[in-house]
Amino acid sequence: MSRVVLLFMLGMFCIPAPTFAAANPYLQELIKRAHAANLAAVPEWLALVHYRKNLLFPGVTGQADDPHFYLAPDGKTDPGAELDATLRAFFAPPVVETDTVQHPQCRFIARYVWLKRSLHFDPQRLPPQRCERFRKWRAALNASALTLVFPSAYINNPSSMFGHTLLRVDAPNQDERTRLLAYAVNYAVGPTNDNGMFFTLKSLIGAYPGLFSISPYYVKVKEYSDMENRDIWEYRLNFTQEEIDRLLRHAWELGPTRFNYYFFDENCAYYLLSLFDVARPSLALTSSFHGWVIPVDTVRSVVEKSGMLAQVVYRPANNTRLRYRLTHITAAERREVRRLAANGARNPVLQGLPAAEQAKLLETAYALVRYQDSADRRDHLAAARLSRELLLARSRLPAGKDEFEPPMPAVRPDQGHKTRRVAVGVGRRDGRNFQSLAVRPAYNDLLDPSGGYTSGAQINFMDIALRHYQGSGSAELERLTLVDILSLSPRDAFFKPVSWKINTGIARTRRRDGEHVAVYHTNGGAGLALGSWNNMVAYGFFEGTLDIGTQLHSDFALGAGPSVGLFIHPLTPWKLNLFARAQDYAVGDKHGESEISLAQSISFGRQQALRLTLSAKHERGKEWRTAALDWHWYF
Amino acid sequence: MKNKLIIAAVLALSPVGVVLAASNNTGCGVGSIIFKGQSGVAPQVLAVTTNGTLGNQTFGISSGTLGCAKDGVVNTPAMVSMFINTNLDKLAHDMAVGNGETLESLASLIGVDDAHKAAFFAATKSHFAEIIPSGHANTQYVIGALNHVLASNSELAQYAHLV
Repeated sequence: MSRVVLLFMLGMFCIPAPTFAAANPYLQELIKRAHAANLAAVPEWLALVHYRKNLLFPGVTGQADDPHFYLAPDGKTDPGAELDATLRAFFAPPVVETDTVQHPQCRFIARYVWLKRSLHFDPQRLPPQRCERFRKWRAALNASALTLVFPSAYINNPSSMFGHTLLRVDAPNQDERTRLLAYAVNYAVGPTNDNGMFFTLKSLIGAYPGLFSISPYYVKVKEYSDMENRDIWEYRLNFTQEEIDRLLRHAWELGPTRFNYYFFDENCAYYLLSLFDVARPSLALTSSFHGWVIPVDTVRSVVEKSGMLAQVVYRPANNTRLRYRLTHITAAERREVRRLAANGARNPVLQGLPAAEQAKLLETAYALVRYQDSADRRDHLAAARLSRELLLARSRLPAGKDEFEPPMPAVRPDQGHKTRRVAVGVGRRDGRNFQSLAVRPAYNDLLDPSGGYTSGAQINFMDIALRHYQGSGSAELERLTLVDILSLSPRDAFFKPVSWKINTGIARTRRRDGEHVAVYHTNGGAGLALGSWNNMVAYGFFEGTLDIGTQLHSDFALGAGPSVGLFIHPLTPWKLNLFARAQDYAVGDKHGESEISLAQSISFGRQQALRLTLSAKHERGKEWRTAALDWHWYF
Repeated sequence: MKNKLIIAAVLALSPVGVVLAASNNTGCGVGSIIFKGQSGVAPQVLAVTTNGTLGNQTFGISSGTLGCAKDGVVNTPAMVSMFINTNLDKLAHDMAVGNGETLESLASLIGVDDAHKAAFFAATKSHFAEIIPSGHANTQYVIGALNHVLASNSELAQYAHLV
C-alpha cells in the first residue's frame, strides 16, 4: 500500500507553483500565437491530455482522475485554459531535480516537445531544462521498436478471462533470443490484496486507481507464461523512431498520473491504445471503442491498420510446451518420464539408452517436476532436490537443441471470430412456432467458430434473447444471461485440472400449472473432463441451481444433481455438443427436472455460423420439446 | 437426503477456493540486495489477479527511486542478480542443456561477446554442479559460484567482475 501512497505524493509535489511568470512578455506572445493557431483544438493536444468528447453535453472531459495532471484549475474540462497554463508553467525557474521534484518542462515532457515544435520556442527567452532523470530513463530503455504483447485469456481468473495487453519496448541490441531483457509498459491497478472475484466487482465501478508501470519483460513472461500458463502473443509493430520517442515521452508524463481503472472500458487495453494514439494521432484507435474494450479487439484494431504489423512471435506457456512434449513421445517414453519424475535420475533403464534419448527423457521429466511443483502438488524442497538431480544428469550429456517447440497455432487471437454476436432464428416449442433474436456483446462459447480462443473456455456476457411466438401479439424475453462461464479442462495421466461452471441471469422455467415463467436463475458446479479438443471431450459435473421468482411456490427453488456432456469436433467447421442434466429441487418449490439437448454448429468462415439446437425437457411431470435454427453473425 | 442436497447445492454455487496467492518474488532492498529462494505460485481458481498486481519487480514510471530501480529502470548493479533471481528455474535448465533463451539473455546482460558465447555455454554446462547448489537455490550463492567459474576460465575471466 505504501507504494501507492508514495506514487500519489510524488504526483503532488513535483510541480512548482507557476504564478510568477504571468508578466513575461514572451509568454504572452506564445499564448497569443497558440490561440491564433487554435492549438488547443488539434488532435495532438487532445490526445496528450486525454480529453474525450462528452456524450451528452458539448465539450470534452479529461480522463485522468488526478488533479496534478492538470496545470489549470479547470484543466479537466477546458483544453484551452490547460494549454495556457502549461505554457506558463514552462517558464518556471530552474529546479534541482530530485526523486520528487521535476521542472514542468520535464514532468510534462511530451507536452513540452510538442508545444516547442508547434510554436518554435526561442531557447533564449524560454530556456530549455536538462531533464536529467528523463534522459537517463530514455537512454536506459534504448527503444528502437514497440511490440504489443497479448497474454491470452486465463479463465481461472475472472479479472483476466478476456486476456490482457501490455507494451514491450525493444532495444536495438536485443534479438529474439534475448528479448527477455526488454522492458514492458503495463497499465494496471495498483497493489491490492483483493481476490479475483472482488477485484472484478470493484473494478466495474472504477474503485481502483490505475497506474502505468514498467518492469523487465522477463518478469512478465514469468508471471503469465510460467506461473499462469498463458500463451503469449507478441505483435511487433511498425512505428517510426519519432513516434516511439513521442510515445515514451508521453508514458513518462503519465507515469505518476492516476486514471481510475474500469474493468470494461477504461482498462489496460484501452490505455495502451491511447498511447498509440499519441504516437500517431492519425490512428484514432481509442475513438473507435465505445462501451466496452476487450483486449483481443484492441489487438485486432491495431494490427488491422495497414502496414502496422511487422512480425508475430508466439511464446507458448510452460504448460503448453510440456503438453506438446508429452504428446510427441511414445507411451513407453511417457512411462519412463513418470518414473524419472517420481524417483529421480538414478534409473537403470535410462543408463542403457543413447545419450540423445536420455537427454529427451530427463528434460521432459524436469519440466514435469516443475509443473507439479508450481501446481502445489509436490513438497517444494523435495521438488527442488529432484529438479537438480535431473538437470545434473542432463548436464553430463552432450548439448542439444530442443526439438519439441510447439508450432504457432494456425489461427492467431486477432484472426479468431469477432467478440460480438447477433443471432436471428426460427424454431418450434411445444407445437408453437417462434422467431428469435439474440445479441451477445461478448465473448466466446464452445460451439463458436474455432481458432484464436482458448479451447474449452466459454464466456458469455450479457447474452439477451427475445422470442416471438406465433399468434402472440408481442415478443417475450427468453433469457438474459449476465454471466455464463464454463471452463472445461481435460485430465490425463499428467494433468489433473478441475472443470467448473457458473452462470446467472434471467431464464425461463415451468410453473406447476405448466406456464413458462421468467425467474432469476443461478447455476454452478464442478466436474471433470477427459479427451482432446481436436476430436472429442467428455465431461461430467455435479451442479447446483437456485431459481428465485414470485411465480414459484414459496418464491424459490433450490436443487442439485448431475450433468454429463460430450463435445465432438469432427471437422474444422463442424462442432457438436450433446448434454444431459437432472436437477432435484428439494427445497422451496419442490420438483424434479431432467433435460437432454444436442447442439450443432457449422461455421462459414470465422464470422458466420449456423446453429441447430434440439432439446427435450422433462419438467413438472410433462415433456417439452424445442427445436431452434439460428444464424450467427460475429461483428 | 434433503439436507445433503442443500449442502451440495450451496457448495456447488459458492465460489470455491478463494485463495490469496502469496507473492514469492523477492524485490530489492534499498541499499543492499537481499534475495531468498523462491518457488512457483499455483494457478489457483480465483487467485489474486495479476492484471491488478504490481509485483515487487514492477515500478512506477518517473516515480523516483524504488528498491533497485530508478524511474522504472533497474540499476545496473542489480540487473544481473534480479535476472538470476527471477529466472533461476529456467536458467538451471538452460545451463544443463547447454543453450536456451534464458542463458542467452544472461550472457547478453553480462556482456559476453558473440565470440565467447560457446565457451560461456560450455563452462556453465560442465560446471553445473558447482553453480546450481542442491536444495533451494540461493541467488547470491549462484552469482558467487558463476563468478568463480568465469574467473577460472582463461577465455571468460574478463566477464567475472560483471556478474
